Amino acid sequence: MSVRRPGLRRALLGAAIGGAVGAGVLIGAQNAGMQIRDGQILGLAYLLALIGFLLGIGAFRFWVTWAAGRPVDVTEEHAAHGTAGDWRRYFRFTTDHKVIGVQYLVSAFLLFLTAGTFGMLMRVELAQPGLALGEDAYNTIMSTHGAMMITVALISIIGGLGNFLVPIMIGARDMAFPKTNALSYWLLPLPILLVAINPLLGGFDTGWTAYPPLSQQANLGQQAYLMAFVTVGISSILSAINFLVTVFRMRAPGMSLMRMPIFVWSLTVTATLALVATSVVAGAFTMLLFDRVLGTSFFRPSRGGDVVLFEHLFWFYSHPAVYIMGLPGLGAILEVVPVFARKPLFAYPLAVLSFIAIGVLSFMVWAHHMFVSGMADFFHIPIMLTTELISVPTGIVFLAALGTIWMGKLHFKTPMLWVFGFIWAFLIGGITGVYLADVPTDITLSDTYFVVAHFHYTIVGGTIFGLFAGTYYWFPKVTGRMYSERLGQLHFWWFMLAFNATFLPMFWLGIEGMRRRVADYPSEMGGVNLWVSFAAFNIFLSMAVFVFNMVRSWRRGEQAAANPWRAKTLEWQVASPPPVQNFDHIPTVSAGPYEYGGGAGVPTEGRAVP
Amino acid sequence: MGAVLVAGIQILPVVASREAEIEDAAFVLLTVLSVPVLMFVVVGLAYSAIRFRANGDEEDGPPIHGHRGFQAIWLVVSFALVIGLFVYGALGLVDIRGAQESEFQVQVQAEQWAWKFEYPSGVVAKELHIPVGERVHLVVTSKDVIHSFWVPAFGIKQDAVPGRPTQIYVTATVAGTYPGLCAELCGSGHTGMHLTVVVSERAELDAWLSDQPGPESSGSEPPA
Repeated sequence: MSVRRPGLRRALLGAAIGGAVGAGVLIGAQNAGMQIRDGQILGLAYLLALIGFLLGIGAFRFWVTWAAGRPVDVTEEHAAHGTAGDWRRYFRFTTDHKVIGVQYLVSAFLLFLTAGTFGMLMRVELAQPGLALGEDAYNTIMSTHGAMMITVALISIIGGLGNFLVPIMIGARDMAFPKTNALSYWLLPLPILLVAINPLLGGFDTGWTAYPPLSQQANLGQQAYLMAFVTVGISSILSAINFLVTVFRMRAPGMSLMRMPIFVWSLTVTATLALVATSVVAGAFTMLLFDRVLGTSFFRPSRGGDVVLFEHLFWFYSHPAVYIMGLPGLGAILEVVPVFARKPLFAYPLAVLSFIAIGVLSFMVWAHHMFVSGMADFFHIPIMLTTELISVPTGIVFLAALGTIWMGKLHFKTPMLWVFGFIWAFLIGGITGVYLADVPTDITLSDTYFVVAHFHYTIVGGTIFGLFAGTYYWFPKVTGRMYSERLGQLHFWWFMLAFNATFLPMFWLGIEGMRRRVADYPSEMGGVNLWVSFAAFNIFLSMAVFVFNMVRSWRRGEQAAANPWRAKTLEWQVASPPPVQNFDHIPTVSAGPYEYGGGAGVPTEGRAVP
Repeated sequence: MGAVLVAGIQILPVVASREAEIEDAAFVLLTVLSVPVLMFVVVGLAYSAIRFRANGDEEDGPPIHGHRGFQAIWLVVSFALVIGLFVYGALGLVDIRGAQESEFQVQVQAEQWAWKFEYPSGVVAKELHIPVGERVHLVVTSKDVIHSFWVPAFGIKQDAVPGRPTQIYVTATVAGTYPGLCAELCGSGHTGMHLTVVVSERAELDAWLSDQPGPESSGSEPPA
């Protein structure tokens, strides 16, 4: 890999040149006596570095060739798709959806571990009353933990498992726009790096919500976060368009919408949400950036701006975003249940309908984050109604899971354990969500540890448990090897116990009045907090088992058969790992995806079943 | 069963206002309703895990795709629960926020990282003193960033928003001294942004007010 060819090395060089040019021009202007703020230097440097990075990795070369009217080099385009077994394709602008899926998944887990490390630092500060790291350091650590974990929850399942599996599950050879797909992945490394190094830029202390005016007075690290978030948003929108076109245009013959695996359905709704909602927060953050960098006053109350407007715009995205994180997890869980219960998915049409209903309702509930914000009193009433209504379609996910388990033939392999863990954790998250949807109880609970416990039960319980269930379930398909079942079960039980030991006591802390986002608390809460810190370190340790299991099994695990779980969906009808073209012949689908117990099932690859 | 467990139990640690009483009652009701829901799923799950475990064979379960009756019951019950909760919550909300008249008004001003209270007589103090048993109106403003005025014992929390005064109505029921705090992250001094509320009889309150230095000598500008 040299800098003369597109690749990671040239991308890093491009980023360095872009950053140096951007910073250099403005620093030069500053020295020439112009009024230039540090934020403006950072802004231009980042923008040019990002463009340099993408040019270096080769993101635009096919489009440039095409736009310039030059003939496209077919062999080069073919090479960009990657060769099976070549590890270097994972570090290139490779257009194969399976490579991109693995890129997303591995990046997401690395980010998960990094964000987890920040979480451990939080628990170091909170283990004892008094200050250990200091308030400013704590705020930055807490904000970085949140920002990174949000990114993990947003990209891991849809970007990782979704990219790898959706085309195969619907019987397609790739995503609709393979180059856009690679672009949406390669947009991510630079912003994620920027968030990771924000402590070097002074850190940021607003949490991921970035409410002005605090975010207007905060350090450069704040601006780094805002720019990073907007970039991730662009990536998210590109990927959403790609998923939607793929699902609606690329299905194999016979793969009607109501024969699509439930996982594909969940990602379809997710992509719709991401497409519609993300631009709103990108707009709000851009306005906030303008306030900081260009001196506008969108959210500057001293000059007529409105900070409550920012809260509305922020949550108008960020509540649907909870479902952008959650729905893929629910989809993965419901995908796993029928296979290990050996029974058709219970009430499949109703589950599809519930995903759509969740998607629609999720746009009407945002202001429940703002019950104490000072918005008009009457507005609490409809928002409370819609928020409580969304528990009806969410409850159907439980109906589908429990109905499938009932009278099944349960095989407690690792993925199934995560399903059971999910039902418990997501149920606790759902029940405590009602306390937060109810305005009278929310007035007390808002901004306390009750909220912290609740969203960890929903996002970890929903998204991360779904991610683990899916990762173990599809591990043989992705890698062609089996994971260690013993280590998988050890990971589950250790994580599950530690997770509950960490977050259950936080409900009590919240009711007792411990605020979220504080570095210190009354000394009588010291005992419980010490316990929570101890339990949280156990979550982290259990992840070591996971990492060890994944790395070792990928290198030296037992060879996996094409269909070790005897599943009926299309991805299990091709080899493990799937060939570069997925299918030799596009299959014709003649039955639903969950025909267990004597149904027909989908055909094996290429064989048309009448 | 849940009702027996929690009847007569107070969930909030301190309840010292009419608003906190309403909220505590809501906590109790929600908890009573949660217990059977939780038990239904957990017991169902535990029973299934034991009863339906595959015993080593390769057999599939029965090809059941759904059950109309059961699905209908599930939907009806969850809808009914939601509507009931909504009506109860809306009534509670009206109870808490509805009566917007007051006998005593205080201007609350938040800034990084302290609280300031201005009384009708023009007195400005660092402590909030209010009469017991009377409806008190607090007008909350902020000088810089968003803060949140929270007194746990009163069950009231309201953001202090720069450029947009917010309103709190509260009726304290038990005389005493209560801690309050800022509940919205407001920068590096957020953790230590506390306040003290003293609830006393009207006569005691008036005596305290007249002991305070006048508005001129306090040396601070009036709230925005």
